[in-house]
Formats: sequence, C-alpha cells, structure tokens
Amino acid sequence: MKLLKSTILLLLLSLCFQVKAQVKEYTLENVPNVRLQNKMRYVSNPGGILSQEACDSIDSMLWKLEQKTSIEVAVVVLPSIGNNDCFQFTHDLFNKWGVGKKGKDNGLLILLVEDQRKIRFETGYGLEGDLPDAICKRIQTRKMNPFFRNDNWDGGMVSGIQSICARLDGSMTNDEANKDEEGGNIMLLFFAAAGFVMLVGFIGGIASWRATRCPNCKKHMLQRTDSRLLSLRHGVKREEVVYTCRNCGHKVVRETESSDDNYRGGGRGGLGGGIFMGGLGGGLGSGGGGFSGGSFGGGMSGGGGAGSDF
Amino acid sequence: MKKSLIITLAVIVLLILLGAGSYNSMVDKQEGVTKAWSNVENQYQRRTNLIQNLVNTVKGYATHEKSTLEGVVAARSKATQITIDPDKLTPEKLQAYQKAQGDVTTALGKLLAITENYPALKANENFLELQSQLEGTENRIAVERGRFNELAKEYNAYIRKFPRNMFAGMFGFEKKPYFEAEAGAEKAPKVEF
Repeated sequence: MKLLKSTILLLLLSLCFQVKAQVKEYTLENVPNVRLQNKMRYVSNPGGILSQEACDSIDSMLWKLEQKTSIEVAVVVLPSIGNNDCFQFTHDLFNKWGVGKKGKDNGLLILLVEDQRKIRFETGYGLEGDLPDAICKRIQTRKMNPFFRNDNWDGGMVSGIQSICARLDGSMTNDEANKDEEGGNIMLLFFAAAGFVMLVGFIGGIASWRATRCPNCKKHMLQRTDSRLLSLRHGVKREEVVYTCRNCGHKVVRETESSDDNYRGGGRGGLGGGIFMGGLGGGLGSGGGGFSGGSFGGGMSGGGGAGSDF
Repeated sequence: MKKSLIITLAVIVLLILLGAGSYNSMVDKQEGVTKAWSNVENQYQRRTNLIQNLVNTVKGYATHEKSTLEGVVAARSKATQITIDPDKLTPEKLQAYQKAQGDVTTALGKLLAITENYPALKANENFLELQSQLEGTENRIAVERGRFNELAKEYNAYIRKFPRNMFAGMFGFEKKPYFEAEAGAEKAPKVEF
C-alpha cells in the first residue's frame, strides 16, 4: 500500500517536471492568426502572456484605428521562437500574413518574444513615413520597455498601442470601407432586381408561347379571334375566348379570368411588390454583417521598423 | 517541292512565335531585376545620408577619435563615387560596388564600437535614434539585397534554359550577378587598445 502511494506520488511529480520544462517554441507555421476567425481581434496570445482585459482593450483601440485609417496592426506575444532571429521572424511573419492593405502596404506587426526579452516593430512600406524607425524606437524605449523590464506585459503593451494609435490617428483616411460596402450593396441590389424582372418576363413569355399550341395539328399557330363576356363581378372578369389555328383552322374555346383594368383592388399588385421587396431585403442583408473572420489585406514590408532589448 | 516549302514556312512561323513570347517574358524579368537593383541602391543611399548626421553627433562627444571619424567619412565618399548602370551589371562591377559599401559597413562598425566608451553619448537620445535608424537601414538593405538575388535568380534560370538560351544570346540578354555574403561579415570589428 505504502509502495503504491509513493510510486503514484513520484509519477505525478515527474509529470509536473515534464510540463514545466517545455516552453513551446513557435514557428511561422504555428503562430495562430486570430484575424482569420474574427476580424475584430488583433492580438495573437497563444501562451496567455497577456491578460484577457489587456487583449480586449488593445482590440478595441486597433479596431477604431482600422476603421478610421484602414491601417492593419497585428500584435503577437510569444513565449519563445527558439533560436530564430527576432528580426527575421518578424519580417517573414509580416509578409506571410500580408499585414496591411494591398497596394497601400499600411501594416504594422508587433512581436514580443518573452524568452529573448525582445520587442520588435515591423512597418509596411506605406507606413514608413508616419511611423519611421526612430519613432518606433522612441515608443519602445519610453513607453514600453520600462514596463517590460518589470515583466509587466499588459502595462507595456497597452501603453505602446496607445502611443501608436495616437501617432497614427489622422495619418491617412479609410476609403476602403465605403468604397467596398456601398458599391457592393448597390451592385447586388441592381442585379437582384434586374435578374428578378428578367426571370418573370421570361416565364411569362414561355407561358404565352405554349398557349399558342394547336391541339389538333400540334403547331403553335393559335390566334385569338373572338371573345364573349360571361360575368364581371368584384373586379374579376370572366370571358369565353375563341382561338383559331392559322394552320388547320381548328377552333379552341377557353374560359379566362382576369382582373378588371378599371377595378382598384388590392390583390395582384400587392403580391408583385412583396416579391420585389424580398429581393431588396436579401441584397441589403448580405452586405451588412462584417463580424466574421478574414485574412489581412496582403500588404508588404521592406524590413522597416525597430527593435529593443529590455 | 511545294509541300516542303509550306512545312518550312510553318516551322519558321512557329519559331518566331515562340521567340516573341520568350522575348517579352525576358524583358519583363529583366525589368524586375533592374527595379530590384534600384531598390538596393536606394537603401544604400539612405545609409549614406544617415552617416553625415551620425558623424556630427559623435564628433561632439568623442573629440579625440579623429581617425575613426575620418575613416567613416572617407569610406562614404569612396562608396558614393561608384555608380552602376543597372543594364550593364557585370559581376566585376557588382563586386566593386559591394566592396565599397562593405568598407563603409566596416568603418561604421568601428565607429559604433568606440561609442561604447562614451556613456554620455550613449545616453543621448539623438544618438540612440540615429543608431536605430541605422539599424533599420541595415535591415532594409539586407531585405532588398535578398529580393534582388531572388529576382536575378529567376531571370538567370529563365534565360539559361533550353531552347530560350538561343534567343537570349541573339537578343543580348545576359546573366545578372548576385550579391554574395561579404567575406568576414560574420566577424564584428574588434576594438583594440
């Protein structure tokens, strides 16, 4: 009994040691890109180094920044990247994810590597004017490193993001959102409406053509030759119409119902209008919700930015 | 007789079409290499521009380090004298350019090494920012050189493959050289007293 207890204890202890000794080393492939699940998330924090409050606060600041200026910022906090060079890792990750809008290249990647005690900013080509290397360094030395030296990851990161947002606010305008959504919505609407109208017309055309088929000689030669009113009540006109085949002379008599043109009733008009509104609603609805995931814009970096040891 | 004439004509037309397609691709790729080259030059130029600022800042603090400071200024002027026409990039010209810039790197390294001895200078914010700008420029140089090498490699592979190598020779497309790793670049300059 005593032996069993001690062996179990030993096993548990060894397990603890196993877990503690391993610090996960991240590579370019296994750094999670949180934006893919949710476009409003900017912080990739797989080791849990930052607290949830800090992440939320940062997310909201960066969301506002992106809405205002279309600048894409990614924050990555990793416990370790092994022996990889910090600059090279940041640079490769930036271009792999394509941070920043394509063409504008206005992306910023912030990487904090805990075991190397390094912070690195990488700016896209288009951001080098507004956030030059010297400013990056200044933000790190004044606003972030003092916190990081005391292992205050939350404090340092939030402070840094605040400075960055203050610096980049008003640096450029966001003409992405309007261009895209408005244009997209209107186009969708137009096509939906046009398509619907065409479809209705098409179906109507087919129906009319089929009605001209003569049952006797099977040719589409029927023509309306005579009509006789049967009854007219509540806006509903009932007629007896005679069709004659131009080919074989065969006569067909049909009873038809139609709405009286003079009668101001509700019915038919309402139905057509209802379908149209449905199409409109569908078009608007699909353009609205943007709270899904997505990749970065495809921006590129030429190695700009700055790094600090703390 | 007539049949063989038609066949010969057809073959000639085919060759011309192939040639035209290849030629256009070669032009595109060559232009890509030229552009990459100007990007590299831009970054080296950026570094050159930073150097004057750096020398002036250090002069104020390290008044007795005349030789090191002069070394940097001399290396810089030598490097600016070497200009390369990207269309005539031969391996020798590229090597000369790379060597001149390499000398600048070495001189800069010496300068930065001696600044370690001047704590007042190291604490100077202006100097720190210049240093970070220099670091950033060195990183950018590395990135642009890498891109140049990549594009040069694509271009070279393209013009050397058969049967394009025949057309390439005819139209005057030549191999582009690569940036090689600088000999001794791995060793940081030591400061001896």
